Amino acid sequence: MKTSVVATLFLVLLCVSGGCQKKEEVIKVGVAGPMTGDQAKMGTDFKNGVSLAVEEWNAKGGLLGKKISLLEADDQHDPKQAVSVANKAVNEGVVGLIGHFNSSCSIPASDVYNRAGIPMITPGSTNPQLTEKGYRGIFRVCGRDDQQGKVGAEFVADKLRLKSVAVIHDKTTYGQGLADEFKRFISGKVEVVYYGGIIQGDKDFKTVLTAIREKRPELIYYGGIYPEMGLLVKQARELGIGAPFMSGDGSIDPKFIEIAGPKAADGTYLTFSPDPRNIPTAKVFIDDYQKRFGEIGPYSVYAYDAANILFTAIKEAGTAEGRAVAEKLHSSEFSGALGKIRFDEKGDVTASLYVVWITREGKFIEYWRPGH
Amino acid sequence: MDRLSLVIRRSLLRSVMISFWFAILFLPFMGLRASLIFFVLLSLVLFSVVLLKGYIKMSTERFRSAVQNVCALRRFTLGFSAARYLIIFFLLLFPLFARDYLLDVAVLAGIYVILALGLNIVVGFAGLLNLGFVAFYAVGAYSYALLNVKLGLTFWQALPLCLTFTTLSGFVLAIPALRLRGDYLAIVTLGFGEIVRLILNNWDALTGGPNGVSGVAPPSLLGMSMGQLSKYYYIVVAAGLLTCVAVRRVRSSRIGRAWIAIREDEIGASSMGINTMRYKLYSFAFGSFWAGLAGILFAAKMRFVSPESFTFMESVLILCMVILGGLGSIGGVILGSVILVILPEVLREVQSYRMLALGMGLILMMIFRPQGIFGGMGRDAR
Amino acid sequence: MLFQQLINGLTVGGVYALIALGYTMVYGILELINFAHGEIYMLGAYLGVIFFAFFSAAGLTSYSLSLSLVLTVALSALFCSAYGFTMERIAYRPLRNAPRLSPLISAIGVSIFLQNYVMLTQGATDKVFPHLQGTGGLTFFGARITYLQVCIILVSFFLMLSLHLYVTRTRMGRAMRAVAQDKVMASLLGVDIDLVISLTFVIGSGLAAVAGIMVAMYYGLVNYSIGYIAGIKAFTAAVLGGIGSIPGAMFGGIFLGLVESMGASYISSEYKDAYAFAVLIIVLLIKPSGIFGRTNEEKV
Repeated sequence: MKTSVVATLFLVLLCVSGGCQKKEEVIKVGVAGPMTGDQAKMGTDFKNGVSLAVEEWNAKGGLLGKKISLLEADDQHDPKQAVSVANKAVNEGVVGLIGHFNSSCSIPASDVYNRAGIPMITPGSTNPQLTEKGYRGIFRVCGRDDQQGKVGAEFVADKLRLKSVAVIHDKTTYGQGLADEFKRFISGKVEVVYYGGIIQGDKDFKTVLTAIREKRPELIYYGGIYPEMGLLVKQARELGIGAPFMSGDGSIDPKFIEIAGPKAADGTYLTFSPDPRNIPTAKVFIDDYQKRFGEIGPYSVYAYDAANILFTAIKEAGTAEGRAVAEKLHSSEFSGALGKIRFDEKGDVTASLYVVWITREGKFIEYWRPGH
Repeated sequence: MDRLSLVIRRSLLRSVMISFWFAILFLPFMGLRASLIFFVLLSLVLFSVVLLKGYIKMSTERFRSAVQNVCALRRFTLGFSAARYLIIFFLLLFPLFARDYLLDVAVLAGIYVILALGLNIVVGFAGLLNLGFVAFYAVGAYSYALLNVKLGLTFWQALPLCLTFTTLSGFVLAIPALRLRGDYLAIVTLGFGEIVRLILNNWDALTGGPNGVSGVAPPSLLGMSMGQLSKYYYIVVAAGLLTCVAVRRVRSSRIGRAWIAIREDEIGASSMGINTMRYKLYSFAFGSFWAGLAGILFAAKMRFVSPESFTFMESVLILCMVILGGLGSIGGVILGSVILVILPEVLREVQSYRMLALGMGLILMMIFRPQGIFGGMGRDAR
Repeated sequence: MLFQQLINGLTVGGVYALIALGYTMVYGILELINFAHGEIYMLGAYLGVIFFAFFSAAGLTSYSLSLSLVLTVALSALFCSAYGFTMERIAYRPLRNAPRLSPLISAIGVSIFLQNYVMLTQGATDKVFPHLQGTGGLTFFGARITYLQVCIILVSFFLMLSLHLYVTRTRMGRAMRAVAQDKVMASLLGVDIDLVISLTFVIGSGLAAVAGIMVAMYYGLVNYSIGYIAGIKAFTAAVLGGIGSIPGAMFGGIFLGLVESMGASYISSEYKDAYAFAVLIIVLLIKPSGIFGRTNEEKV
C-alpha cells in the first residue's frame, strides 16, 4: 500500500515537472500587470493596448517571419507575484515584456528580466528607482515621478504663485515617491506647512484634514490614487476647507469625480501626459481601440506604443536576442501614437511629458503646459 | 413504496427550501439570472445528495477503510523507511529534469514547509494559536535584507545573527502574551503581526517603507554564488531536511512531551509539575527560530523584501497548511504545505476562486475532519 | 481643532460601538470570537449601496427620498440578519462541542469566504454610494459637523440604548443573559438555547448592518476589504470595555474612536491603524477582562 502511494506521488510530480513543452514557431511576447484585483482595470487597459499592436503586426505578416504570440501575466499588484510571473514568463521563452504597471511590481521584476537578458518596457511605472539600477534592458515610455513632481511644483510656484502648501501621500512606492518629488522641487520657493501620510484603503481622513485646516495652506498636494483622492476632496469640503487640491496621474480617473462629487472636485489640478485626443498621430489608434475594446484607458496608448516600439526594435535588430534588441532600443528613434520617442542612457524617455489638467464641471481638461 | 415516495417528496421539499433560502441571500450580490441558475443547481445537488445518502451509508464501510489506510500511512512516514529514502533521492535529482519555473515553485514550497513546521511547534505541539506567525517570518527576512544591504554581511555571516534576533523576538512576544487564554492569545498575536507589518511599512528610514529593501545578495558557497535557482534549491532542501530532523527529535524529547501534555490539559500538566510558562515560552521561541530561517531563505531567494509579503493572510495560509496536514503531525504538515503551494500554481486559471475555496475548505475541514489528513489531534485522537 | 477632532472621533467611535455589540454578545454566549462579524458589517454596507441603487433605478428615490432610505436600511438589516443566522447554523452550530480552536478557525474560513464572495460578485474596485446631500452642516465651536455625522452619532446611541433596555428589561433579554452565564443550567431551566443563540446572531448582525449602511452613506464608498479592519477595531473596542458586557462595548467603541482620532492628529496619521492594535495589546496584558468585564475563573 505504501509503495503504491509513493509511486503515484512520484509519477504525479514527474508529470508536473515534465510539463507542457510544446515547441511552436512563434515569437512570444509577454504583457504583465494587475489583471485581477483592485487595479484590474489598469491591467486590462495594458493588455488591450498591447493586443491591438500584436493584431496589427500579425495582420501585416508577423515579426521576423513568425506570428507574435502574446503571453498574459497577472501580478495582482503584489511584488511577490510579480517576481513569480516574471520567472514564469522568462521560462516560457518570451523575447520581451511590456509591463508591469505598479512601480512596486516593476522594480523587483526588473531584476528577473535583467538577469535573463530580456528587455522590459513599462507603460506606467513612474518611480525613478526603476531606471536607476543601471540595467541596460529596462525602459519606460511614461514619465518619471521626479519629472511629474517638478512640473507640479513649477505650476504651483511659478504659475499660481502660492505661498503655502500641504503635502500628503498614501505611503506607497508611487504615492510617497511622487509627493516627495513635489516637495523636493517646491522647497525654498513655497512653504510646506504640513507633510504626512494616510493609509491606502482607509476611508476617514477627517483627522488629517482637520490638522491641515489649522495650518491654512493655499493648496493641498496629494500623492496617491483616485479612491483616496476622491474621499480627501469630499471630506475637505465637508470640513469647510476651500483650498484647491492637486495630484498626479494616479488620480486622473472619472471615478475620482464620482466619489468627490462634481461640485467638490471642481477646480482640482492634476499632472498627466498631454491629452492623446489632441495628438493627431494618436487619433487612428483611439478610433481602432474604441471600436475593438470600448472606452480608452489612461494608459492604453502607452501600452500600445511600448509594444510597437519593442516590435520595431526587434525588426530593426533582425534578431529577438535580448541584448541586441536592448541596444537598438537605446540607439533608435521611434514614432508612436504619442509622437516621437527616444530613450536616454537610463531607459527613460528624453522629452518631458507632463502637463497640468483641471477638472471643470465633471470633466478633465488640459490646462497648462510647462514654460507658459 | 409509500414511505419511499414520502421520503423523496420530503427531501425534494427540503432541498428546494434550502436552495431557495441561499438563492435569496445571494440575490442582491449575484443578480437575478445567476441566482436562478444557482437555485436550480443547488436544489438538484442537494436532492441527489439526500437521495444518495442511503446508498452512501452502504458504501461507507469501504470508504471509511480506505480513509483509514491513507491515515495509517503516517506510521510509515514517521520512521526512516524506504519511502523516506525514495523521496529524498527524488528531491536530490529534481533539478536535473525540472525547469526554472518548477524549481521556483519547489523552492517556495520548501520555504513554506519550514514555516509550517515552525508553526506546527506552536499550534500543533503546544496547542497555542498564533495568528501572527508571519511577524517572525518578516523579522527574519528583513533582518537578513538589512544586514546584507546596509552592513554588507554575507549570508553565512548574517545567518546566526538573524536567527538569534528572530528567536529573541519570539521570546519577547511570548512573555506578555502567554498569560492569556486561547482566543485572546490568538487576537494578541494577530495584533502583533499587524503592528510589525505597519512598522515595516511606515518606518522608512530603517526599512525603506513600502519600497522595501532590494538588492539582497544570495548566499555563496566555496566562492561560488548559489543564486542560481538550481543551486539555491539544494540549500533550501538542506534547510528543510534539517528542520524536519530537528522537529522530530524535539517532539520525542522531554520538551516535546511536555508540550503535548500542556496542549491536552494545561491545568493537569501544571499539577503534574510541568512549568507551563517556561515550556510555552520555549515553544514560541523554537517556533519563531524556524520562521526566521524561512524568512532568511525567502529574502535571499527574492532578493527583495516588502511589507506586502507579510500580511495576516500569510499567517492564515500557514495555519491552513498546518491544519490541513493535521495538527502535530510532521509528515502531514509537510504534505499540507506542498499541496497548498502547488495547488494555486496548478489552478492559476481559476485563481479568483482559490480564496473562496480556501474559506469554504476551512469551514468544512473543521466540521468534518478537524484532525487534518494525518491528524495527531482532534476528537478521534482521544 | 480639538472639538472637531472630538466630533470626528465620536462619529467613528459610534460605528465601532455598533459593531462591537455584536462581538460582545456572541462572545458572552458562545465564548467565540466571531471573526466573520466584520464581514457582516461589510455586507450591510454593500447591501445599502445595492438596494439604494435598485430603488433609484425603480424611480422610488425621486418619489420619496426618505421612504427609499428607510426601505434600504430595513432590507439591508434584514438580509444581514439572515446572513448572520445562516452563518451560525452552518459554521458554528456543528462545532458547539468541539475544542475552542475549531470554531475560531471556522470563523476565519467564513470571513475569507464572505470577503472573496463579495469581491467576485461585486468586483474588487470600490463601489460608490450616490450622493444624498451637499456638504452642508452645522458649525459648532469652530467645528464643522455634517448632518450625516449627527445622524450617525444619534442613531448609534439610540440603538445601543435600545439594546441595553432589551437585554435588561425583557424576558428574552433575561434568557440571553442566563445563557451567557451558564448554558447548561439555562437549558435545564427550560430556555431554548438554539433560539437564544440564533437571536443573538440576528440582533448582532442587524446592528452591524446599520453601522455598515451608515458608513456607506457617510463616506460614499464601499470595498470588500473594509470588514477586516473594522472588525479588528470593533473587537478591540469590545475587549477594552469588557467582552460580554454591552455597556462595555459601547464605552469601548467611543473610547477607541477618540483615541484613534487624537492619536492620528497629534502623533502620526500613518500609524492610525496601529493605535487600535496597541490599545488591544495593552488592555489584554494589563486587564484582560476589560473595564466593565468580569473575570472568569477557568474550571477544571
